[in-house]
Amino acid sequence: MASARQWIEGDETAKQFLTRVLSERPFLPLPPPLHRIPLRAGNVVEIVGPSPSSKTRILIQAAINCILPKAWKGINYGGLERLVMFIDLDCRFDVLSLSQSLKQRIIKENGNDVGHKLNKVDDSPIGSKDVHAEYDEELFAVSMRRFLYIRCYDSFEFLATLKTMHFQLQKEKEAHGTGVYLLMIDSIGAFYWMDRASPSIPPGRINSTRKSLSLQSVSESVVQEIQKILLVHPMLVLTTKAASLQDKYTTREIRNTGQLSVESTLDSKNIRSSANVQLYREYMPSVWQSFVSHRMLVRPSDDSSKYQKQPIYSSEWLLPSLKISDKFTFNDDGAYIIS
Amino acid sequence: MPLFSSMECDYPLIDPNFRDFCASHAIYSVEDFLLHDLYVLVISTEQHHNSERLKEGITQVLTIINGQHQPWVNGQELLDDALQNKRSLPTGCRSIDAFLHGGLKKGHLTELVGPSSSGKTQICLRAASSVAESWGKIIFLDSGNSFSSKRVAQFVTQTSDPSAYEVDRALQAVMNNIVCLSVFDIFTLFEVLHQLKNNLISQVDQHISMIIIDSISSLITPILGGGGAQGHALMVSVGFLLKRLTHEHDICILVTNHMVAGEKGTSKPALGESWRGIPHVRLLLSRDHTRNISSMSVLRHPHMEIELSSRYNDIRLYNA
Repeated sequence: MASARQWIEGDETAKQFLTRVLSERPFLPLPPPLHRIPLRAGNVVEIVGPSPSSKTRILIQAAINCILPKAWKGINYGGLERLVMFIDLDCRFDVLSLSQSLKQRIIKENGNDVGHKLNKVDDSPIGSKDVHAEYDEELFAVSMRRFLYIRCYDSFEFLATLKTMHFQLQKEKEAHGTGVYLLMIDSIGAFYWMDRASPSIPPGRINSTRKSLSLQSVSESVVQEIQKILLVHPMLVLTTKAASLQDKYTTREIRNTGQLSVESTLDSKNIRSSANVQLYREYMPSVWQSFVSHRMLVRPSDDSSKYQKQPIYSSEWLLPSLKISDKFTFNDDGAYIIS
Repeated sequence: MPLFSSMECDYPLIDPNFRDFCASHAIYSVEDFLLHDLYVLVISTEQHHNSERLKEGITQVLTIINGQHQPWVNGQELLDDALQNKRSLPTGCRSIDAFLHGGLKKGHLTELVGPSSSGKTQICLRAASSVAESWGKIIFLDSGNSFSSKRVAQFVTQTSDPSAYEVDRALQAVMNNIVCLSVFDIFTLFEVLHQLKNNLISQVDQHISMIIIDSISSLITPILGGGGAQGHALMVSVGFLLKRLTHEHDICILVTNHMVAGEKGTSKPALGESWRGIPHVRLLLSRDHTRNISSMSVLRHPHMEIELSSRYNDIRLYNA
């Protein structure tokens, strides 16, 4: 009777529950174009787009936000001061793009802060110029060390990485004193063709229950492993996926759904009208597709000419489907929304 | 991956008993192990009388798996490696080197795309002669008999000291540094690259600073099509093999991709959608034959601004 009563009474109040969840799985402020939707640890975000469409750069900007401290020596940097794990399946990551952006960001925040102070105390532009060009070596190194990187050359290595990730997470947590907030995978479809071509029945031994590294079994294992890791270590998962936009598959897709729209004019204006039409060619197995909780489409935008040298990209949330399309570009120190 | 049965001598924990237990879950190798839910496996050890030893066996396999992936590194270590070992090699063409901030970078797979006679092979030969002169050995994989030692000699004599003796010696040094191999199909390419990889690991071949494949598209396009996944799988595998070589052995890799006719009279790269995500850097070459001017634009680069309309970032390569 007592135990039944205890069961009915519940373990915690809604308020306790909410505060616990919010501290364990907090919302993470992310730079544009990921800012539209509140994302928190446990979510799986997929950034889809043709190659190139700045997908990796979006990841890098989010990583910088995460590895920078909130404040350092009295200057506000607005970071999260947490670790980032970056799994590079494309094997194309160039660390200079991270280090340059991080430096620029530090210099910019220094400039903002110093400029602000100088305006109050004394208006000397010469003094502020010196600080502008400088950045804190120590802050830079500390932040860079919070960025953890691994590259995988095939699905076997990717699975081996995920299987042993729990130990790695534990180790890094102890070494740095803080946990990992972001898990990045760039890009999830990198081994698609290799896995698709591998035989579904392993050669040699004939055993119907034995699995082999096929597209289906690899995706199932990847999803399963990430799910298990997320239970113990709540992180926000950011993945990218290269997909082609306007090829024959799209046309066929549109015809099949009975909507005869001209696919070559799929510009930002009629995305809204044809939101239910698949805008890119989906190729990952359904087990991965249903694992993704948020999906954003990015693509190069045509009207670059107005803004001189910087290419413009447009982004659109497909899951949940928002009827807003953002245009953004990259400066030296980060991503900016244009309209 | 080796079967468990062949691993006992190295890892005594993988004994017949452990192998029987794994076989009852249809696990025969490390690869099978990766596809299995370990928690389920650990729980099912409880049904056996020697569950402790079986669990030790599972931990043993996990340790083996931990050695199978690349090491985790932090951003600072990555940056130190990049600054120390991933230098840029000059192509020998001053305007291109200035345009690319120093030339072709080690650790990058660089691709030249362009229609025929847009200067792809010329840039390859020029880079070969310039790198061979002062940076080290070059492997030139030639799929269309396009390598011309005469042209390389011309480049060397253009840049070298005018005294005849010096030119001769420089020429000899350059020619000795270039290894040219004819490769006419993808399987030979795999063989050559695997051999090279093994040599580099066992340190037989040293100081290889550049690999040039002219053209990679003519090796890959014949195996694409037909609806199967095999051709694409081979293409992507070549890409990953090249990226492994370039990153782990600090080699600069330059490949060329020709153009074919696309829709509505336009031309497009022969290796299209599935390939475009593979190289680090893609450079588009075009040539105005009436004015004898070539231009280059960036289609993709990890930290240079990409120009989608290719109106900016162009440079003109006046014929030398």
